[in-house]
Amino acid sequence: MRLRVTKRQEPLGWGACLVFFGALAFSLAVSAALLALQGKPAFIGIRLLFEGAFGSRWALEDCLLKAVPIFLCALGVAVAFRLQIWNLGAEGQFALGAIGASWAALTFPALPGSYLLPLMFLAAALAGGLWGLVPAVLKLGLRVNEIIVTLMLNYIGILILEYKVYGAWKDPGSFGFPMTREFPAAAIVGNIGATRLNWGLLVCLGCGAAIALFLDRTRLGYELKASGENIRAARYARLPYGRLVLLVMALSGALAGWAGCLEASGSLHRLQPTIMAGYGYTAIVVAWLARLNPLNIGIAALLLAGLRVGVENLQLDLQVPAAFGQIMEGLILLTVLAGNFFKDYRLRWREPDDA
Amino acid sequence: MTPELTIALLAAAVQSGTPILYATLGEIFTERAGVLNLGVEGIMLIGALAGFIVAKTTGVPVYGLLAGGLCGALLAAVHGLVCLVFQGNQVVSGLALTILGTGLSSFWGTAFIGQRTVGFEKLPLPLLSEIPVLGEIFFQHDPLIYLSYLLAPLMWAFLRYTRWGLGLRAVGETPAAAAAAGLRVLAYRWAGVLVGGVLMGFGGAYLSLAYTHLWTNGLSAGRGWIAVALVIFTFWRPGRAILGAYLFGGVMAFQLRLQAMGTTLPSSLLLMLPYGLTIAVLVFSSWRGRGSEAPAALGVNIEPRE
Amino acid sequence: MRRWLPILLIIALMTAGTLPAAEKELKVGFVYVSPIGDAGWSYAHDLGRQHIAALPGVQTAYVEAVPEGADAERVILNMARKNFDVIFATSFGYMDPMLKVAKQFPKTVFMHCSGFKLHQNMGNYFGRMYQARYLSGMVAGAMTQKKILGYVAAFPIPEVIRGINAFTLGAQAVAPDVQVRVVWTKTWYDPATEKEAAKSLLDVGADVIAQHQDSPGPQEAAQEAGAYAIGYNSDMTAFAPKAHLVAPVWNWGPFYEQIANEVRDGSWKSRSDWYGMEKGIVALSPMTDLVPRTVQDMVLAKKAEIVAGTATVFKGPVSDQTGTLRIAAGESASDEALLGMNWFVQGVVGTTE
Repeated sequence: MRLRVTKRQEPLGWGACLVFFGALAFSLAVSAALLALQGKPAFIGIRLLFEGAFGSRWALEDCLLKAVPIFLCALGVAVAFRLQIWNLGAEGQFALGAIGASWAALTFPALPGSYLLPLMFLAAALAGGLWGLVPAVLKLGLRVNEIIVTLMLNYIGILILEYKVYGAWKDPGSFGFPMTREFPAAAIVGNIGATRLNWGLLVCLGCGAAIALFLDRTRLGYELKASGENIRAARYARLPYGRLVLLVMALSGALAGWAGCLEASGSLHRLQPTIMAGYGYTAIVVAWLARLNPLNIGIAALLLAGLRVGVENLQLDLQVPAAFGQIMEGLILLTVLAGNFFKDYRLRWREPDDA
Repeated sequence: MTPELTIALLAAAVQSGTPILYATLGEIFTERAGVLNLGVEGIMLIGALAGFIVAKTTGVPVYGLLAGGLCGALLAAVHGLVCLVFQGNQVVSGLALTILGTGLSSFWGTAFIGQRTVGFEKLPLPLLSEIPVLGEIFFQHDPLIYLSYLLAPLMWAFLRYTRWGLGLRAVGETPAAAAAAGLRVLAYRWAGVLVGGVLMGFGGAYLSLAYTHLWTNGLSAGRGWIAVALVIFTFWRPGRAILGAYLFGGVMAFQLRLQAMGTTLPSSLLLMLPYGLTIAVLVFSSWRGRGSEAPAALGVNIEPRE
Repeated sequence: MRRWLPILLIIALMTAGTLPAAEKELKVGFVYVSPIGDAGWSYAHDLGRQHIAALPGVQTAYVEAVPEGADAERVILNMARKNFDVIFATSFGYMDPMLKVAKQFPKTVFMHCSGFKLHQNMGNYFGRMYQARYLSGMVAGAMTQKKILGYVAAFPIPEVIRGINAFTLGAQAVAPDVQVRVVWTKTWYDPATEKEAAKSLLDVGADVIAQHQDSPGPQEAAQEAGAYAIGYNSDMTAFAPKAHLVAPVWNWGPFYEQIANEVRDGSWKSRSDWYGMEKGIVALSPMTDLVPRTVQDMVLAKKAEIVAGTATVFKGPVSDQTGTLRIAAGESASDEALLGMNWFVQGVVGTTE
């Protein structure tokens, strides 16, 4: 008897869900084993993780709040990935967005909110979008690999942010600590009722819906998908590949920029280096887990946000180090990635003689 | 800058370039087989930790180095499993590997922080180290640096003149044709991934056994990503990896010396230098029309045979 | 309804099972900005946590690597909701989030490190590390031949700048014409870069290296170059026996114990605690044999004065790099001025940006 691999002819409908959750369960099991190896109660650990992430209204609120920047960044990353443009630069675009928004908030503190907030979003989209265009232009003009350029621009973007907050924008009242002045009230995205959530959630929903419509219902969205699946065929069909690259990178950067804007305006109310919490990298994981589908990105963003929030619970109750969250993140991604194999292929035993 | 300072700077460039050199050579080897491994950073960290722990417990630095290489290969094997067996996307798998490696190394490594291990010490080479200028720059280092001098030309010769080397390149360029010619494509790819992992592990172990004799979480501090960038800069050629790694190490060492000499430039701007340089170098090499020298099948998985 | 009764009962029982045990333990929570594996700032606080965790009737927990801002608010909030009695937040950026939470949980005691805001149930605390830095500067000033000292610095924030200034003043007290060269690494825990930074300082002629990060990388560099080194945060003799002179160290344990006891017996009051060597929060590790007896005696004499309160570090006249007088003769810098210090004293070569 030998194992035989064949390509599936039809897509694996509901089974695909099964594969996803199977992979998730597998990575949870490995994580639990790791906990057990460290002498921690594994099952209680996993339960604590879930409770901390989704177990109460507070937890859900925290989760949603954390999911907002991840979702926006992932949405942008996904648009670029659709075209097989490997934009790993959401982190830097996020930084530039936050810088842009802060520039608007600090330069025009007297404007009323109805002008200032849109201006901040505009500045964030411009700054993030332009930062995204740099690798696009280099790729088109000089065939420079976008993976590296986007990565290096992350470092540079973060250093620009540091340069501003350690230098010209430092709040004189911050006792020398690197942070800008608190934004004027008009520059702050307010909270929804008595929750910790802010109206940025609506921005998320709007962007998600718009991107979903764009990808599935417009001609451009279709061209994007077609070009991504087969660049050569797309060139043959005279699809404007270059313009598409510019478009997705600008869009990608603008969305990450908005995430930065919302973090600065909605959560921190100022700009400071700790705004960089690695959302741009998490976004890549999320986009991929969601197979680049906007609705799934929402779910995956919540999941990853839940993981980050839930791990704190683990730390508090079981003194598990923060690195455990990273391990789980890596494991989940790897197992889901490997699990996808079963969506495209089937395994069958065969007798050695019918070879 | 005085002559002494310049020589010191160049010697520092060699040393701070060496961990990057090992990792770059590893990535070149992997990519030549057609596999893109973005997990270098994670593999380096695991290699650094494993090297540290083993050297500390056994007291033999060489065992540490070997352990670093072995564990690097182990983590790279995860990449091989996901991409070569399960057909996972190579970009995403590599990223996941970095996340996993960073997490695992902090998870296990926290207990070893603040300790010191035995390691490789400076060993000026007789005669060679007495050559004026060049001796000081190249031959007053630790044995691992000398090993890296040999490694790059060896890899160059291997890829160019040996049957296996040519096979590896064929698999990276046109796997279908290589398979038709009777090469075991998957075996070559596995070799590329594993040997690459060993070298990346060495790069990590260099940090914890020779550059310093310490471990802290996140020891590699982004050097793995720089190695990935350098591969493109080197046009996938081991010889140029030496140049690239030392250039990069030199810029890092240079910005620190600029500060030590009393510059008034803000440190945030100085720290951008290496990253800006990477982009500039990429642009420059692409501008000369050679950016497309990547192995043709890089990042493309080989579908299992029906 | 009766059908549901058993289920309700079970739920009630399960909830009861998770309630805290009857005997009241003091629950103390810590929020760290970096992983405790940074071997530095958070690590020092965690040693303090371990100190009180060993006390009877005290239960501790921590969350590490918490970014300042929304994440910090969530973590502190969750600790308060979990009925922690005291919460220590050990980074400046936790100040506003903590204040926000403190207003919602009046029965919980909140302690913020390195800030200045107070509330009826929120105090702040810090240690005068600069006192120990001054003393280590005296050692460096006495040991240098070339009158050039190197300082491997982390991030240009007041805590670090204050340390460099105190170190410089200490060195100048022994060798007036000494020069302190500063290299920023913008890292807290990157031994390779920090070692390289130390080497760059040695290359420009420094013969004593001091550092703000906690990795012994700079110590190694000094030993390899045959120079001296001053550590930080722990006795680093083991890493560079031929170079290590002395190290200023944190020791948070006694302070955390004091606060825990105050909270337990109800005597805690909101206030600002900025303790120094007199309370042992900040200390100087024993000087190694490389430091001559006479120098040791001189430094220890100064230490006694600082502990007794008869000597202060930032006492005028002190000028900045441009020669502008910052602290007038006969005056001492206020705590507020120290907390926000963002200029270098004369004699430092480097920039605060």
